[in-house]
Amino acid sequence: MPEMLMPIMENLTKEFFEAIHDVDFLASLKDLYENYSGRATPLYFCENLTRQLGGAQIYLKNEGLNHTGAHKINHCLGQALLAKRMGKKRLIAETGAGQHGLATATVAAKFGMKCTVYMGAKDVARQRPNVFWMEQLGATVIPVEDGGKILRDAINAAMRDLISNPEDTHYLLGTVCGPHPYPVMNTFFQKIVGEEVRNQLGKLPDYLVACCGGGSNAMGLFYDFFDDASVKMIAVEAGGKGIKKIGDKFQHAARFQGGEVGVVEGFKSYFLQDKEGQIGETQSISAGLDYSGVGPQLAYLHDEGRVKFCYALDDEVIEAYKLLARSEGIFAAMESSHAVAEVIKMAPKLGKDKIIVMNCSGRGDKDLFIVSEKLKCKIC
Amino acid sequence: MTHIVAGYPTMKKCKDLAVLMAESAVDFIEIQIPFSDPVADGPTIMAANQVALDSGVKLADCFNLMRELNDTIDVPLLFMSYFNILHHYGVDRFCKEAAACGCYGLIVPDMPLDEEPNEGYLAACKKYGLNAIQVVSPLTKDERLKKIANVASGFVYCVSRFGTTGGNTKLNDDLAKYLSRVKNYINLPLAVGFGISSKKDVEMVHKNAEIAVIGSKVISLINDSKNYERDVKDFLEFCAGGEGGIRTPAGTGVPLQV
Repeated sequence: MPEMLMPIMENLTKEFFEAIHDVDFLASLKDLYENYSGRATPLYFCENLTRQLGGAQIYLKNEGLNHTGAHKINHCLGQALLAKRMGKKRLIAETGAGQHGLATATVAAKFGMKCTVYMGAKDVARQRPNVFWMEQLGATVIPVEDGGKILRDAINAAMRDLISNPEDTHYLLGTVCGPHPYPVMNTFFQKIVGEEVRNQLGKLPDYLVACCGGGSNAMGLFYDFFDDASVKMIAVEAGGKGIKKIGDKFQHAARFQGGEVGVVEGFKSYFLQDKEGQIGETQSISAGLDYSGVGPQLAYLHDEGRVKFCYALDDEVIEAYKLLARSEGIFAAMESSHAVAEVIKMAPKLGKDKIIVMNCSGRGDKDLFIVSEKLKCKIC
Repeated sequence: MTHIVAGYPTMKKCKDLAVLMAESAVDFIEIQIPFSDPVADGPTIMAANQVALDSGVKLADCFNLMRELNDTIDVPLLFMSYFNILHHYGVDRFCKEAAACGCYGLIVPDMPLDEEPNEGYLAACKKYGLNAIQVVSPLTKDERLKKIANVASGFVYCVSRFGTTGGNTKLNDDLAKYLSRVKNYINLPLAVGFGISSKKDVEMVHKNAEIAVIGSKVISLINDSKNYERDVKDFLEFCAGGEGGIRTPAGTGVPLQV
């Protein structure tokens, strides 16, 4: 991490740990979760999908029913509340799919703060609905033209903004990556997902399945179950067009399929990089998973064997999206459809007494243009 | 101190540029090894990094450049890059190779000293006789300056203001206060960089510190000028002329070797 950011991160760490030991802060957060975002989100039994696949019982944690349509609002509410407590006047964020940017723009509007969202130019083009809504909320969306014009480039741009405006600005980083305290902080604000699942299910699940870009929805679902040894955890990475490298280019964003340990953007983890340590450009149908690094906690959990990693290809993801829509009437986001794709593969092989909980981290409305293009449907 | 990006605009041209800088009375030259994610750099240097990478510059080319320049000119040369480049190559191996090429020191802005127990960066620099140039900013607290003072070597790079490289820097009394605070703890020459782009800036820096760092300005000249070699030389010589010029004032005790 740049030395210039050290004092900022030290201060943020101190403020965060003070806040989470403050009962008033926690009470405000709970109130926002319940009355602003609409928590608890349902844990829904996918009866039709379960029957069709003919194996394990499939439950879907519907984070897509949060205000703004994804789990991202959880850490946005937490961080915005913290930023307010710290006296910050401006929020900045990076965004891939636009869900985190939208959630940041939303909390900025609610808390009366200025907001700038950095978004790779390629993502701006493929996530137009979210860009429009962010602007309607009063945020400035800056298309980032550097590098591959995707999430990673947006993170770099947001870091540069923070280095330039450390006094009035809080960088609302949107996943469990980046320098300390972000991975710990966002896990703390997301762990409500797993806590709710435990209460709603009333017994332990056998499998937890979540998609994994940076890893915020995976950490949110998994965290409360780490001490329950019988609960198996599966994180699904973006397999893109296939994990085979074409020349020097990655066709995917699966860090555990050829990624190596590196130190980038203020954290040490697995990154897709070339022989020289240059960070590689990634590819995925889902902008939110199209990222070369993965949260450091997940890298550790991978090495410890606590979380198993697999991947789903773009084409499998589209099929999974269609099957969930037709069988249950739920549009999952392209990101979340990676988890659905893995569940479709694993459920038939498991006994009917087994329980799978998959995290539907976001709803699919935002993917209108991607899906329609992929399915060759003209919509306007 | 001036700065080049290895491979920008081309390998041959950046080498010629370094020779020209040496002839223009520059005290140090930092050679940036291009990286895909240069987070401390502003748009000018970032774009130069990308051009160099797109043209296929490899780490081996950067070591070659260091070796050749070290054989050609007398000015101490530093490598500047980001930690992943060192980490991926192997920190010990990188430092050994850099030292063998005649490198004076390393500037790695995203390697905070707190990570030393995990990464062994300072230890490797020490082992091979490289100066590990530390970076401080106006936000760096006194406590941290003390820690940095303990490991600093060669000189200390003081970021002039909040922000990334390039852009406009208003040098004012705050800079003097900040640098005098740094001097309370650090007993080494101070280099001031980020947005130093005119003779006036250089003079202002030299009132308060030993080394003025000119980085993005040179890249801008390369980008904007029809005859950038002439213009870079003119600019550096203009800055060097008269009182408080670019050359390190005599007697400041800048150690030229470890």
